[in-house]
This record gives sequence, C-alpha cells and structure tokens, in this order.
Amino acid sequence: MPSDTRTPRPGRPRKPRGSLRGSPLFRLRFGFLAIAMVLSVFGARLVQLQGIDPKAYAEMAAAEGIVNVSLPAKRGDILDRNGEPLARSVEGLRIVADPLLTTDQAPELAKFLANRLDVDYFSLLPRLREEGSRYEYVARRVPSTVATRVVDEAADRGFKGLFTERDPVRDYPAHDVAANLVGFMGIDKPLAGFEQTFDGLLAGTDGSARYQVGGGNRLPLGDNTVVEPVDGQDITTTLDQDLQWYTQRVLRQTVEDARGDSGFAVVMDTRTGELLALADHPTFDAADPAASDATDRGSRAMSDVYEPGSVQKVLTVAGLLDAGKATPESRLRVPSELRRDGRVINDWFPHDELKLTLAGVIAKSSNIGTVNAADHFGRGELRRYLAKFGLGEKTDIGVRSEASGVLPSSSMWSSLVDDRVAFGQSLSVNAVQMAAAVNTIANGGVHVDPSLIQGSATTDDGVEVGTDVATTRRVVSEKAARGTARMMERVLDPEGGTAPGAAVPGYRVAGKTGTAQRVGEECACYDGTFTVSFAGFAPADDPRFTVYVVVQNPRNGGGGGSVGGPAFSKIMSYALKRYGVPPTGTKPSNLPLEW
Amino acid sequence: MSSPATQLRTRIAPLIGSPAVEKARLRVVPRRAPQRTRVPFVFLVTLVLLGGVVGLLLFNTSMQQAAFATTALEDQAATLAARQQTLEMEIDTLRDPQRLAERAQQMGMVVSGTPAYLDLETHRVLGEPSPATAEQGLRLLPRPEAKPAVLDPEPIVEEVRQVIGDGPTAGSLDDLPDAESPLGGRPVTRDRD
Repeated sequence: MPSDTRTPRPGRPRKPRGSLRGSPLFRLRFGFLAIAMVLSVFGARLVQLQGIDPKAYAEMAAAEGIVNVSLPAKRGDILDRNGEPLARSVEGLRIVADPLLTTDQAPELAKFLANRLDVDYFSLLPRLREEGSRYEYVARRVPSTVATRVVDEAADRGFKGLFTERDPVRDYPAHDVAANLVGFMGIDKPLAGFEQTFDGLLAGTDGSARYQVGGGNRLPLGDNTVVEPVDGQDITTTLDQDLQWYTQRVLRQTVEDARGDSGFAVVMDTRTGELLALADHPTFDAADPAASDATDRGSRAMSDVYEPGSVQKVLTVAGLLDAGKATPESRLRVPSELRRDGRVINDWFPHDELKLTLAGVIAKSSNIGTVNAADHFGRGELRRYLAKFGLGEKTDIGVRSEASGVLPSSSMWSSLVDDRVAFGQSLSVNAVQMAAAVNTIANGGVHVDPSLIQGSATTDDGVEVGTDVATTRRVVSEKAARGTARMMERVLDPEGGTAPGAAVPGYRVAGKTGTAQRVGEECACYDGTFTVSFAGFAPADDPRFTVYVVVQNPRNGGGGGSVGGPAFSKIMSYALKRYGVPPTGTKPSNLPLEW
Repeated sequence: MSSPATQLRTRIAPLIGSPAVEKARLRVVPRRAPQRTRVPFVFLVTLVLLGGVVGLLLFNTSMQQAAFATTALEDQAATLAARQQTLEMEIDTLRDPQRLAERAQQMGMVVSGTPAYLDLETHRVLGEPSPATAEQGLRLLPRPEAKPAVLDPEPIVEEVRQVIGDGPTAGSLDDLPDAESPLGGRPVTRDRD
C-alpha cells in the first residue's frame, strides 16, 4: 500500500495528515490493543454470566413474561340428606389496596368502600394511608360478583390503587342449623366440627399453572405446564336440614322456658340408625363463630356426659324380659322406701306400699320397683346387657371430642352400684349413645350403630365412619322389645303415667321420662341440680323415629315429663308429618299398672 | 459382444496413452437430454416456500386469535361461574328455614296440626286431624338476654295528683315542665325480661 509519507509526490506540498494519524504500525497496534481490551471485557462478562451463576440469570430470563398461577382446589360442600348445603364454597375475591396510590383520596375511598362493603370506615382509613406499604387488605372473602362490581365502580369514579385477588368464601347458608356438627373455617384452616374432622376429604389438592403471556394473553406456543387441581369431595350427612332447624328451635324454646343451662335433642331413624337431627343449645352461628362463646361451638350432645336417670329403666326392664326374669304383668310390692347396704332408696313421689305391675313401675318411674325387679338378674347380667346396648362405648359417628361415658367396670360393680345403675345412676352416657340404646327397643331388640355421614368417610384420626360401616347386633329378643314398648306406652297414660304431655294426637307413642341428679362441675358430687329428659319412639307398634330430648339444670322445677315431654311431642309430630308416616290405627297398650 | 471388445482392449493396451489412440478411441456418448426450462421448478419451489411462509403466518395469527378468544372466554366463564355461585348463595339465603319461618309467621301462619291419612286400599281414615291454632306457634327468635339490674331499674311510677280549682286543666298537663319526672310525667311500667 503506497503511502504519502514514503513516496511524496513531487510538486505537491506535504500535508500534516500523517502527524495527526500517527504511523500505521502504531495505529494498527493501538487498534488491536483496543479491540483486545474490549474483547477481554466481553470475555470477563461471559465468564461472569455463564461460569459463576448461570442459573439465576436463566431464571430471570425465563421469568420474563412467565406467569405462575396457583389453581386452588374447590373445597367440598357439606350437604344434608337431601343435598341442601350446610356448608359450601363460593368463588370469592379479596380486595386489596395499594396505599401509595390511595393515600391522596383516602377519606373519599374509605367512605365509598364502607358504604358498599361490610367494612368499617375508621379502621379502613389508616390502612389506605399506611406509609411504606403497597399491600393492605380492604376486605376478605367477598363474593366475586360483589367485589368486581365495587372495584369497577371505584375505577369509574376515578379511584386508583384497588385490585382483587382470589380468596374463596366458605358460606354457611343456614347459619346456626347443625353448626355444632358442621363446625367452621378459620382464615386458612378449619377450626371445628366436620370441617376439621374431614378436612382431608374436603380440602382437595391445589394445582398450579405456568405459562407465558404476552399482552395479557397466553402465548399459544409458549411454555405451558398445568397441574390440574383435585377438588375436594362433598360430604353428605344424614341430617335433614328442616327437621334439624325445627328441632333446634323447639329445643331452644324448651331450654329457655325451663331456664336450663343447656340441652340436646336427637332424632334418629329407627330402622337405619341415621341421625336426622342432632341439636344443641346453646349453639352458634357458623357464619359468625366469633360472636359466640368458645364453649358453645362444640357439640355438647356428644361431649357432655351425664347420668341418664330413669330413661335407663327401660334398658333394665328390657333385659329382664329378655332373660325371662319378668313379664310386663309381673307383680311387685313397692315399699315407701328401700334400705340397701345402709343407704335408703326413695321414689320421686312419696307413697305408702304400692302394688305395681312391672308396667306400673315403668309408667310411674318407681326406683324402688326397678331395684326390686332387677334383683332377679344374675351377677354381672345387667352390666352385660347395658354393654350390649352400647353404653360406655364411643359411638364413633365422626363428631370431635366425643366422651364415651362410663359404665362401671366389673370389678367396680358392687351391689350398691348394681341397684343404682338399674334406675340410671352411677353410670354416665352421652345423648347419642342413650338415643341409640332406646332405639334398640324401638327396632325390635336390634341395636343399630348411629351414623351422621352417608356412605363412609375417614376422619383425621383414621377412623372410618358412616352408614356403610354401621353394624347391627341383637341385644334383646323381639318379644322382650315389644313388651318393653308396650310398657313404655303406659308412661303417656293421662292418669297413671308420668308424661301425658308427650303424646302425639292420633299416634301410639312409647316413651320414658328421666329426672336424674346432676354431678356438679365444681364439687364432683350431686349438687342439687337435675338433668331432665324424655326418650321415646312412634308409632309404638311400628316405630319409625326415636326422639330424645335432654335439658340440663332446669330452674323451673320441671321434670322429664313436663319439660322434655312437650318438646318430644312437637319434634315427633313434625317428623311424622314431614315423612308422611300414618298412624298404625291399632289399639293402644292397656297393660295394667296395679294389681 | 463383450468378448471381441475385451480382445480389442488387450490388443491395443500398449498403445494407450498415445494421443492418436486417445483421439481415435470410440467412446459412448451420453444422449443429450433436451434442455428443459427450469422456470416451472423454480416457480414451484418459490410457491411452496411462499405458501409455507404465508400459511405459517396465517396459522400463527389464527392461533394468536384463538389465544385471545380463549382468554376472553375463560374470563367470561369465570365471571359467569362466580355469578351463578353468588346467585345460588342468594337463593340459599332466601330459603333459609329460619327466614321462611319468620316470613310465614309474619303472615300469620303457624305449624300445622296433625293431619289425617286416607288409606286407599282399605278405605280407612287414619289419624285424627286437628286444626292449626295460634298456640302451636313456635318461638323463632331467642329470648332477649336478661339485662343487668343497673340497666333495668324498677319502673318509676308517678302518682298523678288531682288538681282542683285554678290548677292546670287536663289538656295543659302535657305542657308541665319535665323537671318533676325524668320521663315526661307519664307513669312507666316495663316488663322485666
């Protein structure tokens, strides 16, 4: 390459260009050096990117335009026997504010939101103005149509900084109906009842989706992985929502009128053992559990054990009939008081010596007569019968914190205990146990396990519960059960019986009252308060339902007949009407009460 | 044919290499194919390429379009599902037994009495029908809680003195100042809950 500097053309003046550019060699070297420096910077950066921490950058690159969405599983519903929801999940949203954008218009926005959502103006205002925060809850678990409407309306009015996020709502449409059994949800986890017991079934498994978006739309050929969520299963209970509601209202009225502490009522399908209603009072609103005492949120019918009192006598008598040790017409002399092992057993009413038949003993609920009759049992025989009736054994129907009650063990079974157990003291039961025991007599002597869940479900303790796993066993003979039922009909006798108020017009009803001394919580002794109850079934000669009503500590001086009887009558009458059970039209029992 | 040719080749073998022989040597000349024009082929390839590119473009566009539609429809489905659920929730609220019972009671309804059943096989009437009466009404709401004594004082009973002569007339009693009794002079009786 010819150069001006080496071969200056003659005649031309030398230009100073070379001095500005320098020598070509120098320029070449300088250029190479510059290129080498730039390349080594590139190289260093390459090593930094690829050698030192390649994954982080790869992830950052991938995250650009990638959306990760959690696909929450739908929580299963809790239904009654007709498919009416007792608890259900509804698509919901939470409304969230970005205080950076809401501060300026905070008072107006707070007023706007307080008027439309169930939020408090004064607690909302500081949250909308929170400094340094970009995420503040405005309202949680808002039905999504409501949330969308409010947020859209806010946008129309020029409010900025509101957005929504998924937040499923758990709805309890019937509020307090069966709330003690259904339980309720906390913010993120179940806190009580079936919600907690069957959480494994109800919850399902959340899924997730990961895809690329461009301009808000999913890219059809982009990265796309979806793990479908597995929705939770529905749980169908054996409860009948309307009957449960009615039972709860009757029970509340009964407990309030008797000025009692608490009460429970059980309605059981005689043939299948399905619990159509299991009511507790006091109860709570599952949609607003915080408004009630924590002690009212469980099921007292399952967790509070008590001495059943005279209702127990029908079990004793059924055993006697089954063992062939007595008949309904067996004649008994009932003295005014009975001395046993240095203790005196009295009847609830003062009397001279009475000549009662066994039916009369039941109708008048005589303790002394029952003890005398039970003397015919061999040693340990009564305990065997009661154990077969299911006393002292958990029912395992899927209700949390069930107390099994106490049936004294054989070694503790003294003759004094034997006497007292015969008429329902010195042992304790829960309401469902006792209802199932009385139902055994209604069901012709066959004990059916009570159940609350249709089909089967597994509790969080791994116990399989439900109608599929309910078993039956014969406890007493058909003849003994029918005989006992006929005696129990006499309890409702207007003259000789203890509970004429329990009658259901037109139907043959068998029942038994119970008024038991109650063991106080503080002194662990009989504290002068009572548990009054009434258990019975109808129609007496072809029973369909067993109803059991218990009121704890009534302060109006009422007994099982006057407090429990009318409540029983109302509930039973409603159940018979609701299920269209006609009267059998047969002649009622007229067993003699005296001789 | 092949054997004379072989003999010939062996015979002339020493001469191979000399230019004359090379020149005189007979060779099989491939038949000249008629020169076909390449235009259709190029045209076809171009067409296929162009068609492919355009088709791909259209396909891509339609996929994008479908993606937009999917997103829009999914949004719509979600909105409708949410709407359905909210409506179902409203229905459940409306048919809550408690609400129905309250409404029914406001309209003067009570729980029905015992019905009678007609047995069509035996032509018998079973049961004794009884009319529904007001006593069968069910208390639907809990009793209000008893107030503490501080909030539920004894009723204040003001004795109205008979005024004779120049005193205020019955009509003007209402105009008396409220100072005498805190409740405006009217005797108040209140139920103790």
